[in-house]
Amino acid sequence: MFVKYKPKRNLLQTILHTEILQGMALTMRRLFSRPITRQYPDEEIPVALGFRGQHALVRDPETGGSTCVACMRCATVCPSRCIRIRFHDEESRRVVDSYDIEALRCVYCGYCEEVCPVNALVLTEIFEYAAYSRDPFHFTREDLLANWDRFVEERHIDRETYVNPFWRPRGMPEGRLPAAKRLPVPSDWTLEGQVVGAGYDQQ
Amino acid sequence: MHVLVLLLQILVLFAVVMLHVAYATYFERKIIGHMQVRMGPMRVGWHGLLQPIADGIKSFFKEDIIPEQADRPIFLAAPIICLVAMLTSLAVLPFAPGWVLADINIGLIFILAMSSLSSYGVILAGWASNSKYTFLGGLRSMAQVISYEIAMGLSLVGVMMLSGTLNLSKIVEAQGTSFGGMYIFPQIIAFFVFCVAMLAETNRVPFDLPEAETELVSGYATEYSGMRYAMFFMAEYIGMIVMSAIGTICFLGGWNGPFTVPGVPFFWFVLKIYLFLFVFIWIRATLPRYRYDQLMELGWKLLIPLALANIALTGIVKAIIG
Ligand code: SF4
Ligand code: SF4
Repeated sequence: MFVKYKPKRNLLQTILHTEILQGMALTMRRLFSRPITRQYPDEEIPVALGFRGQHALVRDPETGGSTCVACMRCATVCPSRCIRIRFHDEESRRVVDSYDIEALRCVYCGYCEEVCPVNALVLTEIFEYAAYSRDPFHFTREDLLANWDRFVEERHIDRETYVNPFWRPRGMPEGRLPAAKRLPVPSDWTLEGQVVGAGYDQQ
Repeated sequence: MHVLVLLLQILVLFAVVMLHVAYATYFERKIIGHMQVRMGPMRVGWHGLLQPIADGIKSFFKEDIIPEQADRPIFLAAPIICLVAMLTSLAVLPFAPGWVLADINIGLIFILAMSSLSSYGVILAGWASNSKYTFLGGLRSMAQVISYEIAMGLSLVGVMMLSGTLNLSKIVEAQGTSFGGMYIFPQIIAFFVFCVAMLAETNRVPFDLPEAETELVSGYATEYSGMRYAMFFMAEYIGMIVMSAIGTICFLGGWNGPFTVPGVPFFWFVLKIYLFLFVFIWIRATLPRYRYDQLMELGWKLLIPLALANIALTGIVKAIIG
């Protein structure tokens, strides 16, 4: 785009400072427009879809525990190394012994929830969890499950629709995703293959 | 008895002006907020109406920090010089016919003298705090005041020539009660020069170089805290009110209006002052700060020649018409 830095003015415009008057007219118009400020604690702030807030482990209604299969993908991908998982092998599957997240080190990049093949770990929409000490930010598995319960209760979340379409690795075509990740994406998210990858249409 | 009445009048005027100063800050924040599509203060009281009082109480109880290397007596006196000089000029303002504390014959000169005296406060503050930022702020203030004082004084000479007096009440009376009598029409050039110089004299945007928080932290007030810091701001706002009053008296016909409001003889005067204050705030919400050399150029190369030309023109026209 060509930006005209200094538009031509004639003598009269220079003398009368028309540009300053234009600016003044603009601020005057704005005086009567509606402010965009949200009075935060009094007013609810709308949370956008895909917001990355407090961590939670989704509670599986069948087992009552987490669906995590201890694949270690989240712990591997986490750039700030704040996920710590202990597990042991049991016949053909892994059993999680402990699952800890150090939330104070988290940068809320959302990679962990993107890579999780079973949608076990999610970042909820809760962002008001300030505290006066560090301890409350060390989430154990029980804390994370409780986070999920509280989230479901507070925001009336339906598990099926919530653990949904945004938490997929960006730009990966459908065919290369784990089964649990193959969920429909809103049309405006497919734009330019940002979310679903260039090969999405051919699937 | 006379002294007591005078003291009472002074007290009332002081209280009213201070209230205006407090709420000028509130309206400034509100108006600028809304012009920037924000809300301004909203928390203290209904729509933040008690905010200035909260601010006042806060600054009153804040610790008064004096830097170790500062020049103590001058550092302490500077804000008081500022404030007192500004408050003193209130004495000669005629708010309504006969409503003036000191009806002296050199009112206009007195106000100009007091407003330059108050810039001494700024300069001394800059010097005495012994810090780079305040020092630069003080230097800028000095240069700015010298350049714009001249332009302002010269722009008012035209008014003096037309009215033939320096007494502020007489200047208002000389303009008559009619709309066309206001000096803004014959003295439109002077009015323009006056408005620009007025912004510079009160250190307001776009000429707030002595303060310039983006480059000089807080300019001359950097080392001040608590009540002394607040005093500088009171002085600034009283300065705005005084300058608005001079503009009203010299160019807009003072207390005269289209009709007289019964019981409130100062109605039009106060209304015109509010108008001026609004323009002050409006300009602050719109314009960026001038660069230092642009400021000097504007003052010396444009405003002073304009004001001089205006004097010559007024003199010639007056000589021809009689
Ligand atoms: S959001 Fe990012 S930083 Fe935080 S736990 Fe997940 S992967 Fe780690
Ligand atoms: S990626 Fe998901 S399943 Fe794998 S360890 Fe992390 S939470 Fe568990």
